[in-house]
Formats: sequence, C-alpha cells, structure tokens
Amino acid sequence: MADSQHSNATQDSRERLKAAVHYTVGCLCQDVAEDKDVQFSKQTIAAISEITFRQCENFAKDLEMFARHAKRSTVTTEDVKLLARRSNSLLKYITQKSEELASSNMEQKEKKKKKSSAAKGGRTSGEQEVAVTESEDSNMA
Amino acid sequence: MADSRPRDRRGARRSGRYPARAAAKAVSDSGREKNSGRSTLVKQRSTVFPDLDNDTPRVVLKRIIRTQPQVSPLAPQISKHEETEEAGSELPSKRVSSTVEMQLPDLVPENTSITTFCMTKKRKKLSISEFERAADKRLPQNQAQSMLDSTALARSLRMSLGSLIPPDTVEQRGLLRRPKNRKAIDMEAFEGGVEQNMLKRKAQNYLVDSQTASGIQTAMLTSDAEIMLSNTELFVQPEFDEQSKNKLSALEPQLSDSKTSAQRSKISDAAQEEARLVGLVSTVGTNEGRTQRYSEDLILDHKHVDRMTRVSPKPPANQQEDKQDHSQQSNPMEQLSVSEEVVAGTAEHHANAGYSEHLEKKPTEKAESQITAAQDARVETEMAPSEEEGIAAGSVGHQGSREAEREIAKGVGGGSLGRHSHAFASSEKSGMKPLKEAVEQADELEDQAIMVELDGLEEEPIDDEAEDPESEEVSMKTPAFVRAAAYRPLLSPPRPAKPAAPKSPLQPLRAKPVPKSSGASRRKTREPEVASSLIKKIFSHYVKMPVARDAFKIVEKCSERYFRQLSSDLEAYSSHAGRKTVEMADLEVLMRRQGLVTDKMPLHVLIERYLPLEYRKLLIPVAVSGNKVIPCK
Repeated sequence: MADSQHSNATQDSRERLKAAVHYTVGCLCQDVAEDKDVQFSKQTIAAISEITFRQCENFAKDLEMFARHAKRSTVTTEDVKLLARRSNSLLKYITQKSEELASSNMEQKEKKKKKSSAAKGGRTSGEQEVAVTESEDSNMA
Repeated sequence: MADSRPRDRRGARRSGRYPARAAAKAVSDSGREKNSGRSTLVKQRSTVFPDLDNDTPRVVLKRIIRTQPQVSPLAPQISKHEETEEAGSELPSKRVSSTVEMQLPDLVPENTSITTFCMTKKRKKLSISEFERAADKRLPQNQAQSMLDSTALARSLRMSLGSLIPPDTVEQRGLLRRPKNRKAIDMEAFEGGVEQNMLKRKAQNYLVDSQTASGIQTAMLTSDAEIMLSNTELFVQPEFDEQSKNKLSALEPQLSDSKTSAQRSKISDAAQEEARLVGLVSTVGTNEGRTQRYSEDLILDHKHVDRMTRVSPKPPANQQEDKQDHSQQSNPMEQLSVSEEVVAGTAEHHANAGYSEHLEKKPTEKAESQITAAQDARVETEMAPSEEEGIAAGSVGHQGSREAEREIAKGVGGGSLGRHSHAFASSEKSGMKPLKEAVEQADELEDQAIMVELDGLEEEPIDDEAEDPESEEVSMKTPAFVRAAAYRPLLSPPRPAKPAAPKSPLQPLRAKPVPKSSGASRRKTREPEVASSLIKKIFSHYVKMPVARDAFKIVEKCSERYFRQLSSDLEAYSSHAGRKTVEMADLEVLMRRQGLVTDKMPLHVLIERYLPLEYRKLLIPVAVSGNKVIPCK
C-alpha cells in the first residue's frame, strides 16, 4: 500500500510536472506564433511537450551518470557541458552562458568580500580587494 | 505334398507353383492353386517365355516362381539341385522321389520338359533354357548372398528377381543401369579449385578497380586482397608487374585523351585545372572515396599531359608510347610515365608506393646502378629539376617524392610545393635528366610511401600546373629542404656533398614553406582510415543486396564521421573523469548515451549477446573456485 501510495504520489507529481511542461510549451509556442505569424495546433503542442518531458528524463539520467563517472555526487556545469556536446551550437551557447554565470558569481563573491571586508574595515580589505580583483581579472581573461 | 505327386505325373507346371506355395503359405491356398493351376496349365503354353512388355510384374513373378527351382535352405542339397538342373531331366521321377522336401527336382524336369516342349514349338522368343541358364548363373550369386534365409519362397523370389536382370541385358540394354563410374570427390582438388576461383575473382576485381581507378587501387592492396593475391602466380614479383601493367593500361586511355587536347593546352587551362585540383585536393583531404581520387587523377593526368606537351620538346605521344611500351628509355618519356603515374597515384599514398614501385621498375631497366646510388640521384634530381625533361609528370613525380620527404619531415604545406612545381616546370625546359632521378624518386617514394601524404601529391600536380616556373632554387629548396629533414638520418654520407651546394641558397627560403606546410600538411596529414574493402564487405553482408559504388562512398563517409564523433566523445568522457586513458567506464557511459545500454539492458547482457566467447571471458570477470577470478584484475 505504501508502495502504491508512493507510486501514486510519484505518478501524481509526474502528472503535475507534465502539465507544467505542457503549459510552458504552450506559452512559448504562442509567443513564437505571434512572432512568426504561424499557427500551432494542439497536437503539436502536446507532442512538443511530451518530447520535452522525455528528453528531460534522459538528460537527468545522463547527468547523473556523468556525475558518477567523475566520482562526484553533485551535478555541475561540467556535466551539463558534456551533455550538450552533441550539438555544437548548443555547446557554444551553454559555454557562453556558463562563463557569464561564473563571472557574475565572481562579481557577487567580490561584492560579498568587499562587504565583509568593509565590515571588518582596514586597508587589508582594500588590498585584498585589489588582489581579488586582480585574480578575478586573470580568471576572466 | 502328396497332392503334388499326381500333379507331377501330369506334368503340370502348376505343381511347381504348388510346392512353393505349400512351403510358403497355408494349405488353404491349395484349393485356389488347383483352380489357378488348371488355368495356368492353359496359359502355360501361351506364356512360357517372359513377355515383359505385356505382362504385369505380378504375372512375371508368378511365372518365375513357377519355373524357378525351389531353393532349399540346406546348402548341399541346393548345389545338388543346381547340378541336377544342369544335368538334365532324364529322370524326373527319380528326383522327385529322392527328396520329398525338395521340390526343385520336380521343377527341373518340368522345366526341361517344358523347354523341350517349347523348343518343339520353335518359339522364337527367349527360350526357357536360356532363361534358366542365366538364372542359374545368378543362382550362385544369390545363394552366396543369402544362405541363411529360411523361406524357400523368399529365396526363390530373390533368385527370380535376380534372374530378371539377364533378360534385360539380353533384350533391353537401356533399362540396365550403366556402371557407376563416379570419381571419388577429391576434396583437395575441390578446395583448390574454389580457392583458384576466388583468387581469380579477386584478381578480376583488383584489375577492374585498378583500371577504373587508373591503377591506383593496385597499390592499395587491402589486407584480404593482399592475402588472396600474394599466393597466386599472377602476382609474382610483388605486384610490380601487375600494378605497372594496370597503371599503364589505365593511364593509356587517359594519356591518349589528353594527348589530343594537351597540344593546345594553355596556361589558363592549367590554372583552371589547378583550381580544380585544389578543390579536389580539399575533397581528397577529407578522405573521400577512391572514385573521386580517380577523377582527380584523371584530371591530373590530363594536366600533366598538357604540361608535357606544352613544355617538353618531345611529343608527349612518343613519351607516352614509350612509356607504355616500356621500351623507350628516354628520360622524358620515363619521367613522364613516372610522373603521370605519380599523378595518378597522388590521391593515395598507397598509389604512390605502387607508382614508386612502378617507377622503380622502369628505371631499373635502364639504370640499375643508379638506383643503388639512389640517394645521390635524388640529390641530383632535386638539385637539377631543370635538367629533367619538361614533363610535368616527371616534375610531379619528383615533387611527389619531395612531397613525401617534406611531409615526412615536417609536413610541409602545398604552397611550397607550388613553388617547387614552378621550378620544376622551368626545369623541364632546361634539360633531360637521366632516369636516375626518376628512379631515385621512385626509390624515395617507395621508401617513404607510407609517409607520403595524399595532399602533398595532389599539390604537386597543381604546382606543376602552375605556369610560372620559379627559379630552380625555389624548386631546389624543397628537395634540399626535404632531404635535409628527411634524409639526413637516413641518407648516407656520399650524398650530402652534392646537396650541400644547392642547399645553401635554398636555406634562406626554407622559412617560407615551413609555416605554410605545417598548416597545409596538417590538413593533408593522412589519418588512419578504415580499409574500405572491410567496410564494403561488412556492409554488403548485412544489406544482402548489391550496392552501388557511390553508396559505398557514402557509407565510408558516414562510418568515418561516426568513428570520429565516437572517439571525440570518448576523449571528452575520459578527460571529464580526470584521466588520460580511455577506460571501460568511458565506453559504458558512451553506450548509455547512445541508448544501447539502458536500465533494462545492462552492458553485460550486451556483451553476452553480441561478442564471441573469448571477448566475453575477457570482459566479464568470472569467479572460479579457489579464490580465483578470471580475468584477474
């Protein structure tokens, strides 16, 4: 019973997820239709959402496999990049985005450090900031 | 039995049947027999002789049973009977009385009496006596076969059946089975024949391919082709004769065609061809099928021919003819042939090897000694391309060798080649170089065959095409440069003396080709390919249908791309795991990504299903008794 309930629960969540995906796909298709002045039939949207859902499942499995392959328990951007290798343009895009993310993260870290250093006060923080920025620059370069 | 006697007295034949029947069947038959006996009595006279045409087998058998003496299971008595039969039937009564069991004596006198009766009638048909004699002949045979048979009827039947045969032989030979003169199948001969057939087919394919591909294929012996061909006498003299012949035959038509058009070829044409070649080179660089290369070769040949006609003072026709005949020993001719062959074989390094071999063959005829001093000759050739005839092919050949050297050394790009070709073109006019150069090149090519890169060769023709002959120095630089790089470790001391002089002026120019060649050479670097014949075989096996050649090309392309993608994936996966070696885990990841391995289908199941037992043993560790795991890890 617990299993069935559990499975029901998973099924329910699955159904809800599917519905969410379907809704999102519908919204996107609507935007595209407005843009390109093309009509999207319901079956098309349903098909796209189904494909998306299944592909997401595949991605998840592959990502988990990649993480395990690297002897990690966390899925990182590296795994995602490996996943996107199939399509060159997608890989480029993802790499770009990941770099942007990394840089933004660095900036946030810098800000946090600055704040923290400011809270602590002193030249050391300034020096640290300088050093940090320098290092960040090298990283970004 | 008692009944039989009165019947005997009557001399009715039917009694003969009766004893047999009595012996074989129940007495109940006797009644029937009596009736039938009476009827048979009437019939006897009419159907004494076996009328095989009209009578049914049953009737014939009946007659036989009636007439044939009953054979007793007791051997000595049978022989007695036979003797008595032969002796005659003077004392039938005695015989009858002698043995109650044996019915034969009854039959014998009956037969003889009947015989006499028949003879009196003077029937022209087969006489019973003859029949009997033949049957008697059979008797010992039959008896020898089955002495143990209990039933007399069976024996008599056998005898009768056996006796059936003689009448056939006498009357109708057609029915008799001719003696089987089948030769015992000689397995060795059979297998030998099969092998020969296969070899012939391979040879045919080989020849056809070579001819279509202007003899390129000859050089490109695939592993199985080599295995097949290496045994036949056809290819004695390791593929030299074959290849040379094929090349010649392949080149002849090309040359003839080019001859007509070559005479009027212009630089513009050369330029166009060059452009074409460049395009072709690029395509070739992508390791496309041979057919493309062949087309390229054809174009190259044409170009070369054009150049030759343009530049060489000698008529290309003569050169070509000479080359074809192998008789003409003129340097330009040979060079031309060499170059042409080289051009043709530019597409593939194998072809170059083949051509180099071919070239070697030709020069050997002329200057074997020079071959020995190959290195020196090379130097000479390189040093004085101008000396060589203006045969583009020759220059190409040289370039090819140079290319090989270059590529071997540093993979110099085609740009330098262009320059060299120019130089060679100019050198063509300068003079004729003895074959040694060609020979040298051939030797070089041969030596460096493996290293020769396709692109380099292609560039050569293109370069040759280029009209503007650069200074000989430029052309020299490549050989000198290449040689310096490639042959220093290889070449013997005597050589360096000659190249030293030309090298110096060329050295400053080396800088230029190096960067170009590095970039171009990388593109032309011949990557290891999967043998196309292997792909063809596997593909046709699985498709079970005839496949067009273009389709094979596409399949080759696809498989090449697939393997490239596969290998890059594996590299990414292994680097993702922080390793430099590809391991089984990487492959498992790959297969999962491909969808071959799923949650439902583990890898081990696939291994078990598709791999042979040896590999399975290697891959799947098996635990055996004694704390032992195979394969031990």
